[in-house]
Amino acid sequence: MRALIAAATGLAVALALVLTLTALGTPTGKTSPKPLLTTVPAHP
Amino acid sequence: MRRTAGLVLLALAVFFAALAPLLRWYAYPRLAKIPAGEYQTMVLQAKNATLLDYGTMTARTVPQVTIVQTLKGDVQASERIERTAGRDVVVWDGLSYVQGPDGKMVSKVPERYIFDAHTQEPVHATGEMVDGDPVRRTGIEFKWPFLTQKRDYEYFDAQTRTTAPIHYRDTRDFRGLKVYYFEQTVPWTEVPMPKTMPVQGITPQTVARTGTTRWYTTVRRFWVEPVTGAPVYGEEIHREELRGGTLLGGRAKVTAFAGHVKMREDYIEHTVAMVKSNRTLVLLLTAYLPWGFLLLGLVLMSLSLLLEARSRRPHRPAAAEPAEPAEPRSVTA
Repeated sequence: MRALIAAATGLAVALALVLTLTALGTPTGKTSPKPLLTTVPAHP
Repeated sequence: MRRTAGLVLLALAVFFAALAPLLRWYAYPRLAKIPAGEYQTMVLQAKNATLLDYGTMTARTVPQVTIVQTLKGDVQASERIERTAGRDVVVWDGLSYVQGPDGKMVSKVPERYIFDAHTQEPVHATGEMVDGDPVRRTGIEFKWPFLTQKRDYEYFDAQTRTTAPIHYRDTRDFRGLKVYYFEQTVPWTEVPMPKTMPVQGITPQTVARTGTTRWYTTVRRFWVEPVTGAPVYGEEIHREELRGGTLLGGRAKVTAFAGHVKMREDYIEHTVAMVKSNRTLVLLLTAYLPWGFLLLGLVLMSLSLLLEARSRRPHRPAAAEPAEPAEPRSVTA
């Protein structure tokens, strides 16, 4: 019984961690203030 | 004590073993995305290209034509579309600006490309366009999906506003990266005049009245890093002609542009470095962490079972302990 509880705890923590990570997601950022270029840039 | 340690190890083993598939099949599709606010520039050059002189309406060879491509993510527009699309969306405003050897504009074609941030599938929304013409894209453009496969993909051609297969040819090594080489040939096709013409006073409408039409063909080549789906190098053998009408003074056709367009060297180096860095991030989610966690889970499970087995082993009997020396017997004569 105790082994079953330990395994369930491990599974629950893994699920909680992944769900939290994906819920936080990746930052969307902001629209760049740089323009669409009409000149040739010197470097990247 | 051993039993408690065994149970903790079991919990950790299940934690890591469960984390492996969860990361690969649940977290990866939700976390590996093109950022909505991406801003990228690219410079391509065609050396010894043929370019139309609009003053004399004759084709001439010029030392270099430069194409500056900008892609700029519109975060506000992507958030607005996401509300109805129900998935993460990227909105790219692009500009292909072509400059002649004298620094003057040859053409500039804006476009808006809307796509799924993870799969790169096109998303259809108001504002999707090429050079001001509304389009409904199918297939990919600019970038391949993450974990690109060795197969043909549908690729959108902005000049013809159509989609056609781009064929996987082979796997190559490009500056230390394993890449998939793709090629697409667009046959001679009549295409619209650019909305912005290089000569003031000439518009697509005035050209259309002369009966002259614009035709285009290209061979498009991409070297795509398969983990990120990002092209690390690209080339085009591009030809444009004006055909028929009174504008050409009785000639059947004149070359408007012909050249072998290649990425500028500093941009190749920059792209390869960026893709190498992003590749590691994608591999962390798809391979390094899932396999590492699975292995760790198995090791922890083995340790847990070992501890459990030891804790259940019966205690040795007292007889096994070293026997006390026998008492000396008294010897009588």
